[in-house]
Amino acid sequence: MEAIKYEENGQFHSGHVACAGCVEALALRVVLNTVGQDAVAVVPPSCTAVICGGYPFSSVKIPVFHTTLESGAASASGVKRALVAKGKPDTTVLCLAGDGGTYDIGLQALSSAAERNEDILYVCFDNEGYMNTGGQKSSSTPLNAVTGSTPAGKLTRKKNMVEILAAHRIPYIATASPSDLNDLTDKVKKAKNIRGMKVLIILIPCLPGWGVADDRAVACAREAVNAGVFPLFEVEDGTKYTLNVKEKVQPVNSYLAMQKRYRQLSEEKISAIQADVDEDWQRLMDKTNGR
Amino acid sequence: MEKMPSPLWTNSTSLERMTGTWRNALPYYKNLPSPCHGACPVDGEIAQWLLQVNKEDHFGAWITLVDNNPFPSIAGRICHHPCETSCNRTNLDETVGICSLERFVGDKALADGWAFAKPQEERPEKIAIIGGGPAGLSAAYQLRRRGFQVDLFEARPALGGLLRYGIPAYRLDKSILDQEIARIIDLGITTHLNAEVLDAKALKKLRENYDAVYLATGASKPKALPGLDYCADYVLDSAEFLAATNAGEKCELGEHLVVIGGGSAAMDVARTARRLGHRVSVLSLEPDELLPAQRAEVDEAKEEGIGFICSSMLKSVVAGDDGITLRCTKIDFKPGETRGAFSMSEVDGGTFDLTAHAIIPAIGQDADIDRWTGMLNAQGPVVATDAKWQTETDGIFAGGDLASMDRFVTQAIGMGKHAAVAIAGYVCPDQVVSQPDKGAEVPYKAINTAYHPKEQRNAQAHLMVDVRLQSFKEVQLPLPEAEAIKEAGRCFTCGTCTLCDNCFLYCPDVAIKKVDGGYTVDADYCKGCGLCVAECPTGSIAMQEES
Ligand SMILES: Cc1cc2nc3c(=O)[nH]c(=O)nc-3n(C[C@H](O)[C@H](O)[C@H](O)COP(=O)(O)OP(=O)(O)OC[C@H]3O[C@@H](n4cnc5c(N)ncnc54)[C@H](O)[C@@H]3O)c2cc1C
Ligand SMILES: Cc1ncc(C[n+]2csc(CCOP(=O)(O)OP(=O)(O)O)c2C)c(N)n1
Ligand code: SF4
Ligand code: SF4
Ligand code: SF4
Ligand SMILES: [Mg+2]
Repeated sequence: MEAIKYEENGQFHSGHVACAGCVEALALRVVLNTVGQDAVAVVPPSCTAVICGGYPFSSVKIPVFHTTLESGAASASGVKRALVAKGKPDTTVLCLAGDGGTYDIGLQALSSAAERNEDILYVCFDNEGYMNTGGQKSSSTPLNAVTGSTPAGKLTRKKNMVEILAAHRIPYIATASPSDLNDLTDKVKKAKNIRGMKVLIILIPCLPGWGVADDRAVACAREAVNAGVFPLFEVEDGTKYTLNVKEKVQPVNSYLAMQKRYRQLSEEKISAIQADVDEDWQRLMDKTNGR
Repeated sequence: MEKMPSPLWTNSTSLERMTGTWRNALPYYKNLPSPCHGACPVDGEIAQWLLQVNKEDHFGAWITLVDNNPFPSIAGRICHHPCETSCNRTNLDETVGICSLERFVGDKALADGWAFAKPQEERPEKIAIIGGGPAGLSAAYQLRRRGFQVDLFEARPALGGLLRYGIPAYRLDKSILDQEIARIIDLGITTHLNAEVLDAKALKKLRENYDAVYLATGASKPKALPGLDYCADYVLDSAEFLAATNAGEKCELGEHLVVIGGGSAAMDVARTARRLGHRVSVLSLEPDELLPAQRAEVDEAKEEGIGFICSSMLKSVVAGDDGITLRCTKIDFKPGETRGAFSMSEVDGGTFDLTAHAIIPAIGQDADIDRWTGMLNAQGPVVATDAKWQTETDGIFAGGDLASMDRFVTQAIGMGKHAAVAIAGYVCPDQVVSQPDKGAEVPYKAINTAYHPKEQRNAQAHLMVDVRLQSFKEVQLPLPEAEAIKEAGRCFTCGTCTLCDNCFLYCPDVAIKKVDGGYTVDADYCKGCGLCVAECPTGSIAMQEES
């Protein structure tokens, strides 16, 4: 068995208010401990903001700047430039945002920062919806998933954020999962040592939002990876795709079955999801093969 | 210009917040036994020593092994391995090759000359052990390492019991047997060979001269096949045949032998005879698929050219000038409820003749209880004992084939161990230990198999058939070290924490702390999510409801 290798350095504290079993807190713990003490975080409204804060307490050892939902990447750009101006060019600036703050409301700021190739490490905790506000859909919510604002299931597919970012030709984009902490750790380390814009999208099965049992979030993320719903891969300079898992090894059924947001899906709807997954997978294969 | 509002600064860490109050269940580190341990007749700490092998700590693995069984090389060759049948990994792909790994560790110990530690203290109490088979030797070992003075009485000229006079060398090389026995005797056991304890009177005398007696004389009386004339020169009982051939003596039996019986002993007789150049047929009541011998033994016997005449019964024998004719009939065999029980009926018109030169019945052995009349009583086919293996005579304990129908080598070794523990408690009350009862075991569903990718077990290589037939060389070949380490890595280590850190590193609440040689759950912050339990690869943590 391969040992989990991220180092616990005391960068993230107990006593935060994430739900019991929340893997966003877990992913945050891994990211913060891997990035280390010489860093500043910029956080727009999201579960992450709630987990980090809860005034007057902080669960995060590095300084955190809470900004607005529209402006995560812009604020992070400013913080980075200020640090450079103050003679601290090596301090890592993290932007820790949700999918709503990335795919939707913060997209304009993110696109501009990417276009300017700002030297920030942008981490998107992708729980596929507006979750801290009670579970509404975002453009990251996948096809047929039920949310508070899509009670009959979302009618459109999940936005392909990686391809949008790749179109900006930034140095590094990667996906990661709490079911593979070594892959996540490697990607954070790699990103930290790259100058310019880096974006890491981490899949976060949301316990109340997706209807997953308290102890099943890692298992759920693992199923997503195994089913090819959320492939683990990297894109360098917008063009060089590298797949980090060998194969998609199973159909989507068991992944869907463990989530209440997919409860009572008809066979047709399951097939539609499978078809999307297969198509996206093929597209990814083509890109990794340089086609 | 308007003044910028000053930012709000946090002034403390979230450690101020006791999120443990959210919880209604708390994880705890449990140490449940693995199913292989539960099935192992010597209570082997299998998960532990497999982990040691995987970490290339072979000496450590050997120390763990010999705590319960001084014969890992022997058990690794001929144990019926119920551990493998119950291995959790069978639910994923295939059992861990526990037996082959036991042999690996045992052989490593012999090759490197590892010896048992001498007893830490000498005790004055004297124990007599009667019978130098696996049960007697196991008891002798366990008593001697606790410091007792042990006298071992054996009727035959050498120790080993059926290991020496029953099991053929192609399954257990005699040099392995000699070395594992010598290592036990070297602990300082006084042996008395050619020293048959004749009767109840002699037993009584021993009881008077010793603080306790352990009786492990095996099952030495061949069961008689009704209607077969055992005095005829064409009949030789299996026990005699095996004892003679194991001792290198020749039996003049003619060319074609019929072995009667379908168990392990019958296979041993048949395969031994094949190696001595005979043509061999096995005649059994059971149909092929119900032969009581292990499947591998049957398959190997077939590979070696032994004929099987199954679902058949011998009715009578007619002796002629050149050999004998066996009058047989086909039967309809129906297995009964319990092991060994069956019913049968003859098939109409199913009679047939078989010509041969000799018959070797191999239908089992009975315990010789009559010999001890006046001292010991029977309980069905075996000597009566209580839960602690004490007979109805105070201070006389019994075990092995004499006292049980679980007739396997490791059963005998386990019984010897259990009796030794009981004897130690009997002769000196400060040594009383309660035998741990075999309780709940780690279920398969407690293992997170995401950490254990599918991987077929290492196949153990076997000698080619033509080489087998020319000698008594061991058929089963050893596992090379690299393969052994890899195979040990297939073990889930059920219920034994490997200190992998998964629970520590997966907790979203940083609520697991490392303490000396392990972990503890910080109840101030644990929210009771159970993620640590779900991501434990070994099933070593569980949730406990809190009120
Ligand atoms: C042919 C054959 C093959 C077998 N193969 C296997 C196998 O592959 N795997 C397996 O697990 N089991 C096997 N068994 C079963 C296994 O050998 C026995 O269950 C086991 O040996 C029993 O151990 P024991 O110590 O009780 O008796 P034994 O091994 O029979 O030892 C008893 C000892 O006591 C001595 N003794 C008897 N009477 C006296 C007396 N009055 N005074 C002094 N000494 C005495 C005997 O000489 C002998 O040395 C096999 C059995 C046979 C017959
Ligand atoms: C412009 C704006 N619109 C709406 C909000 C209210 N709001 C705060 S957080 C949030 C949801 C954010 O969703 P996401 O970024 O996915 O983070 P999550 O809560 O899922 O972690 C919303 C809608 C806001 N703060 N600002
Ligand atoms: S996986 Fe290992 S510990 Fe578990 S039952 Fe099998 S051999 Fe025993
Ligand atoms: S993962 Fe942490 S919070 Fe969850 S049950 Fe285990 S110790 Fe408690
Ligand atoms: S997760 Fe690893 S360290 Fe924790 S109890 Fe299980 S085996 Fe031990
Ligand atoms: Mg979200």
